[in-house]
Amino acid sequence: MTRSSRTPGAESAGRYRRNLFSWVMLTPGLIFLGAFLAVPFLLLFVISFRDVDNWMNMLPTYSLNQYLEVFTSRFYLHMIWTTLWVAIVTTVICIVLAYPAAYLLVRAPNRSVRTALYVILVSPLLTSVVIRTFAWIVLLAQNGLVNEVLMKLALISEPLRLLWNLNAVIIAYVQVMLPFAVLPIATSMGEIDPRLRQASMNLGAGRLRTFWKVTLPLTIPGMMSGAIIVFSLAAGSYITPLLVGGRLQPLLPLAIYQQVLQVANLPLGAAMSMTLLLLVGVLVAGMGLILRRWEGRMHG
Amino acid sequence: MDDREEAGALARRRRRFDGWTLLIWIGGGAVYLFLVVPVLVIILSAFSPNPYPEFPPTEFSLRWFREVFQSEPWMRAIGFSLWLMLIVTVLTVVLGTTAAYGVSRLEFRGKQALLSFMLSPLMIPQVVMGIALLYIFTAMGIIRTMAGLVIGHIIVSFPYVIRTVGVSLSNLDPKLERASMNLGAGPVQTFFRVTLPLIRPGIVAGGVFSAVTSFGEVSISLFVVSPSNMTVPVRIFNYIDQTFDPSVNAISVLFIAVAVLALIIIERTIGLTKVM
Repeated sequence: MTRSSRTPGAESAGRYRRNLFSWVMLTPGLIFLGAFLAVPFLLLFVISFRDVDNWMNMLPTYSLNQYLEVFTSRFYLHMIWTTLWVAIVTTVICIVLAYPAAYLLVRAPNRSVRTALYVILVSPLLTSVVIRTFAWIVLLAQNGLVNEVLMKLALISEPLRLLWNLNAVIIAYVQVMLPFAVLPIATSMGEIDPRLRQASMNLGAGRLRTFWKVTLPLTIPGMMSGAIIVFSLAAGSYITPLLVGGRLQPLLPLAIYQQVLQVANLPLGAAMSMTLLLLVGVLVAGMGLILRRWEGRMHG
Repeated sequence: MDDREEAGALARRRRRFDGWTLLIWIGGGAVYLFLVVPVLVIILSAFSPNPYPEFPPTEFSLRWFREVFQSEPWMRAIGFSLWLMLIVTVLTVVLGTTAAYGVSRLEFRGKQALLSFMLSPLMIPQVVMGIALLYIFTAMGIIRTMAGLVIGHIIVSFPYVIRTVGVSLSNLDPKLERASMNLGAGPVQTFFRVTLPLIRPGIVAGGVFSAVTSFGEVSISLFVVSPSNMTVPVRIFNYIDQTFDPSVNAISVLFIAVAVLALIIIERTIGLTKVM
């Protein structure tokens, strides 16, 4: 009697101690992120409503002036549109290229081939973005490798101007971000029961039809999670555009960098940052919604 | 007659099948080539004596490596980056492992939201994070100090540790911890004697990710770095933004070597497929 009444008490005391310990473990990380992630963002949000004088000093007044400048000037609207366009084009190209790459990874004939493909996919992710971008400068410069090879093959007589435009930015983006699209698609593909594809083929569907009706729908979750990462990276990077596209490309992250470090107009930079966050956030949330809907449909 | 017709149709279908397979393999191969060519170009240029890369390479030389190792500013940047990497890795692993453990063992409303918050630095545009930190560090008086860099690097490395340790924790058999508790060990003792040794692969992989992330970080560093304490990627950035110097090729080869080494460690500890 006494024993059985004591046990639940002891058990709940044990659970209390375990929970207390878990909270103690969680707290330092939470305080750190709160102080250096949440608070800075809140402050940035507040600053985006501050006014500045002609010398870029922050005034103690609050208004919507910075946002008005961003959303009414042609210059910034064009920039927002270009940023989105570049990110969307990059995402689409990455997804299209990712499918054959993922197929090879899943169907690799043996372990060593698969490992080699994996190394090719993952090692760029562990190399600094500066270095990955630098490779494209070496390749695309006036006296770079691409021009040299084309000249030697006598396909061109003058070196082409391959750097310092948005195409160079997109090419470099695709190469830098492709692994983020390939890996989740490969995971989805690997999870498809091979009997499904076999059944489709046995029922007379060709390869293309099987891809459209079986493989593609079942890899939508992987495709969407890849697209989310690629899109948010492509919309938010400034290092790659700065190095291969030049300082004058109308891209929001680039403009934020210059506005803050060169013009020193922090409130305008903050308002542009909030705009960028909102754009990326809305589109990513939309893609996330599609992903969840689709998963709901797949699993009934 | 019927049989033969059917056999013919089957053969045709098989031929078409082979055509598609070939096409996909060629396409996929081209994609991998596209991924690997820039890396090969860098390696090739690093070992060439000429300032501009040529193809096919004519000579082999270690000139650019020598130049890097004899250059005082490059060596100082490498030393500083390694120091920073060490500090960031230790702190991130401790903060990330404890947080991942806490989150995995608690059930509360908003747990999913909290996890998303902890992983958010992977998705937030780094330029935005950079200026947010620039502002708060200026206010705190730690702008252009090592402390600022350490904090910035921890924030971007943190999600990787949460992920790798999270994977290890979810693979852990809960019966083991329960057994330890039933045998009278408290939560602290159980954590250090049972949980920690079992999640070591996740911790090691998380540490490698933190190290590599810190070593290569540039987007946030550019906002908080000082000219006297420059990390290697920031120095590379400033360099190639202004001039073209082939010694950057040699440095890049070092980075690629570090990446491949990191890859091997991650594969040996937790498996690449689980964390990427």
